[in-house]
Amino acid sequence: MAMPSDAGLGAVDALQQAYAAALDRADMAGWLACFATTEAAGYVCIAAENDARDLGLALMLDDCRARLEDRVTFITQVWAGTFQAYRTRHLVYRTGCRPGPDGTLDVTSNFAIMMTPEGGSTTVLAAGEYRDRVVLEARGARFLHKRAVYDTTVLPRYVVYPF
Amino acid sequence: MSAGGPSLRWPARVNEIPKEVFLRPDIFEAELQRIFYGGQWHALAHLGELPEPGDFKTMVLGRMPVIVAHGDDGTVRVFVNSCTHRGNQLETASCGRRTEFECPYHRWAFANDGRLIGCPGAREFAPDFDKADHGLRQLRVAQFFGLIFATADRDTPPLEAWLGATVSALQDILGGDGRLRLLGYQKVRYASNWKAYADNDGYHAPLLHTGFRLLQWQGGQGSQTVTDNGHLAFKVQLKPVQNAGFLRDPSLVAFKGVDPQNGSRVVQLFPATVLTKHLDVINLRFAIPTSVDETEVHYAYFAHQDDDAELLRHRIRQSSNLLGPCGVISMEDAAIFQRIHVGSRSPGNAAFQKGVKRLDTLWHDFGQNDEAGNLPKWDYYRRVMGFARAGEGGDGHA
Repeated sequence: MAMPSDAGLGAVDALQQAYAAALDRADMAGWLACFATTEAAGYVCIAAENDARDLGLALMLDDCRARLEDRVTFITQVWAGTFQAYRTRHLVYRTGCRPGPDGTLDVTSNFAIMMTPEGGSTTVLAAGEYRDRVVLEARGARFLHKRAVYDTTVLPRYVVYPF
Repeated sequence: MSAGGPSLRWPARVNEIPKEVFLRPDIFEAELQRIFYGGQWHALAHLGELPEPGDFKTMVLGRMPVIVAHGDDGTVRVFVNSCTHRGNQLETASCGRRTEFECPYHRWAFANDGRLIGCPGAREFAPDFDKADHGLRQLRVAQFFGLIFATADRDTPPLEAWLGATVSALQDILGGDGRLRLLGYQKVRYASNWKAYADNDGYHAPLLHTGFRLLQWQGGQGSQTVTDNGHLAFKVQLKPVQNAGFLRDPSLVAFKGVDPQNGSRVVQLFPATVLTKHLDVINLRFAIPTSVDETEVHYAYFAHQDDDAELLRHRIRQSSNLLGPCGVISMEDAAIFQRIHVGSRSPGNAAFQKGVKRLDTLWHDFGQNDEAGNLPKWDYYRRVMGFARAGEGGDGHA
């Protein structure tokens, strides 16, 4: 089994950085741009409790490109002005990277998301693991599937943005 | 009610609620005793969460830890999650399967029917010690189409009498026959008093939902049924989405189930349980009043056992995205719970307006969108808590 090249790892890390940076500036177009353009691209954010029991119910379940785009529409157009603003800082580090099928890479990372509501102090929103399948496109690495499995049994607030 | 409860003068106008009722720790402590440990049933689980003998789920009733246990004999019981020896918390897992619960403190072991079956060193125990006297403390339990209720009060009326006029809508939500299968959970804490949560979760003014407006998706004809003991039930027709082109993937809001004319149901049971069926989402919301300022809600989602693979998949993706703490038409609700709580830190009363017909006494018929439908619940709450209305005499507490 061929190990990922340094260039491949570099592209994966650049993608993780772009993903965290987009969410941390509430840039949903930037978030969407981290995903492959194929219809099969998807994002799932699920409680570890459900994941461990093979229960499919998630907190966010975008199983196709169109759903990803609809999530952006809801956050930027439908919900605008209805929620208390909060900003995040994603702390992400890669814990594993191995070849997946058809030239993809299967990447795992730990994440912690610090949250600061407008006018409030900083607390932890969630911690967990990203389990990603990354495709290397000409323009750089993109997520074919991103799965955020959060350990946080009870989330400390309602959620607007993806993890 | 016992003397010495909190004192609060309730407004004379029936549409007004004193804001301090959301904020006062002494009132919260009294609510635990009078409501959560008092003469009410509390929904703690559905059988679909613990379908097999040996399955259990831990939960909290008020502040009291409990275990909902499906015994090897097929009976579902609710135990206080506390060893009968020194009071140690017996089970820490949120769910699992066990034939017995063993306390790690002194190795007392209890069968999943609650009997004490092991207590090492019993020869040195107190002279009157008898194993038969030390089974797990059980609460009264009753089921309605698999929905499992418990009460700590021996005088709580029988469950179906307590549910009253909500039973028809509740049966609809529970799939008609209660044969539900767990899809999973979303669990969240809201920085809100449990009453602000219970007052606003479920059916309410469509004004709130921009999503509904953009989709040109308004509810059809419907009804609101209100009981004297604080429950509400809504049955609403479900019209198809008119502007699905707004979504790139309109299949998310498709309706694939049966009964398209009556697709929406909400039941709010006193004090804080909300159960709903909307499109193909079956959602039971179990609320825990963790403090005067915070409410934990476990959103449990279900399919029906007879669903085929396609309907099951549809339910999972719709349930994951529609009605939870991040749902496309419910995230805004969650934002409101917290803002009500913050805004209540101010003098005076909150006032209901829509559907208020008179101010001196309550009435019994409510339109489907009347916010006034919450007022009988508030009046019931007021009476349970022993708060006299201004002008009724008394000193504000019983």
